[in-house]
Amino acid sequence: MFRTGLAAFAGIALCTLAFSPLAAQQSKLRVIQTNFAGDTIHIIDPATNKVVGTFLDGIESAHGIAVSPDGNRIYLSEESTNSLQVIDGKTLKTTKSIPLSGNPNLVDITPDGKKVYVAIALSYTDLSEFPRVKATAAGGVDVIDTTSMTKVKTIALKGGVHDLNVTPDGKFLVVGNARGGRANVMTVVDTKTDDVSWTMPMDPSPSPMAISKNPDGSTKAIYAQNGRDNGFQVVDFATRKITQTIKFAPIAGRENPYGPPAASHGMMVTPDQKTLVVNSRYNSAVYLYSLPDVKPVGVVNLSGKGAGWLTITPDSKRAYIANEHTNNVSVIDIPTQKEIAVIPVGFAPARNVVWMAP
Amino acid sequence: MMRASFYMLAAASLVVAAAASLSQAESAPAAPAAAANASGLDYNFFKTRVQPVFTTKRPGHTRCVVCHTQNNAPFHLVPLSPGSTTWNEEQSRQNFQLIQKVAIPGNVDSPIVHHPLAETAGGDPHHGGGQQFESQNDPAWQTLKAFVMGQKA
Repeated sequence: MFRTGLAAFAGIALCTLAFSPLAAQQSKLRVIQTNFAGDTIHIIDPATNKVVGTFLDGIESAHGIAVSPDGNRIYLSEESTNSLQVIDGKTLKTTKSIPLSGNPNLVDITPDGKKVYVAIALSYTDLSEFPRVKATAAGGVDVIDTTSMTKVKTIALKGGVHDLNVTPDGKFLVVGNARGGRANVMTVVDTKTDDVSWTMPMDPSPSPMAISKNPDGSTKAIYAQNGRDNGFQVVDFATRKITQTIKFAPIAGRENPYGPPAASHGMMVTPDQKTLVVNSRYNSAVYLYSLPDVKPVGVVNLSGKGAGWLTITPDSKRAYIANEHTNNVSVIDIPTQKEIAVIPVGFAPARNVVWMAP
Repeated sequence: MMRASFYMLAAASLVVAAAASLSQAESAPAAPAAAANASGLDYNFFKTRVQPVFTTKRPGHTRCVVCHTQNNAPFHLVPLSPGSTTWNEEQSRQNFQLIQKVAIPGNVDSPIVHHPLAETAGGDPHHGGGQQFESQNDPAWQTLKAFVMGQKA
């Protein structure tokens, strides 16, 4: 009798869960994984941690990616064409290709979905004598209006721009001028005017970054890797000062000195604002820090090598780390600090993003 | 006496040196050919056999030409002219100069040979452009190796 009742209760509970809005939302949750040296974009289902599809087959050198808040659009920068591809979330087909002012890198979007910002790195003519960069080289940020689907402005900045992040409240864009011709500066842009609000010397420039917020939604801190060191710095947004510099010690037997030069690349704050997750490409490991105190709470060694980017699920429980050197993605369970899956993808997996499919 | 002997010795040395120099000049190839082969790498082989490796699309991969004309890789190629699928003579000459940064004549461990080859096949542990060649039996990889080893067109 008890067992029958339990089974009936479980059945009702399962039906309720299956048809609840939360379950429906979770069933549409996906991780989009780009492959910088590959020729397609992979879609991963976090429920199974399997690749469930691809799109943009034939694409070459996809770089930055962002999704609209409603999931209806995917924005992807393509280095080979110096363009921003606008992809329909339902059909997964390109609906528009927006020409950019130069070689595009990272992409981010405002919380209201009205503007997309594209980092513009240095062009071939600036880098043709690499590693010597011409004195006149300059990059910037292209501003895309998502209503008209046009580039409405280029914010000219010194140095090539590799990374940029919109703050959680949407009020600012934080830019690291670090891709060739480093300007050794962090630039903060007011998103209302798209003009530079303030700058802060940082040597080297931030690349990449993560941002935490205060309880009122305003920006609390910038966490900045720098394209060179195996670690990161913490910048207090209000005082505009570096408050911490953290360097990861090598892990014996796990050293991975093979390029690109950034020893630590890819970091993100969990949506619940409790944990900072930081890649070490050199150690092929992920470091976890509690927030807001920025105290180390764990290290997860990865099966793959060359951790180059990461994204985190909305429930703050899982991180997906792109292992650039071994062509796969590690899935980390953040509460237990365990790697729970390794997913084969394309060549040199790079940027990834969580996407709620429409 | 000693001074006279010294002058005679110096004069004799000059004569020998001049003769040796003349002999070298006579046996050296004509100036234009010497320039073409100064590096030990063959331009025509590069133009007709190596450059197509960079523009060929291999399944699952981005073409070499895409990254190596855009980003901050140490080896650069001249960007293709709009609408072109290969390089013109002037651009090929520039590419030939550029590749000499990563092609060491006679050295099979040259970066252009070692770097894009999969680690499991004896290549580098990492290439930002992925493992373009999974095996040393790949004809395209063999073309790169032959170029470095001085094969002529």
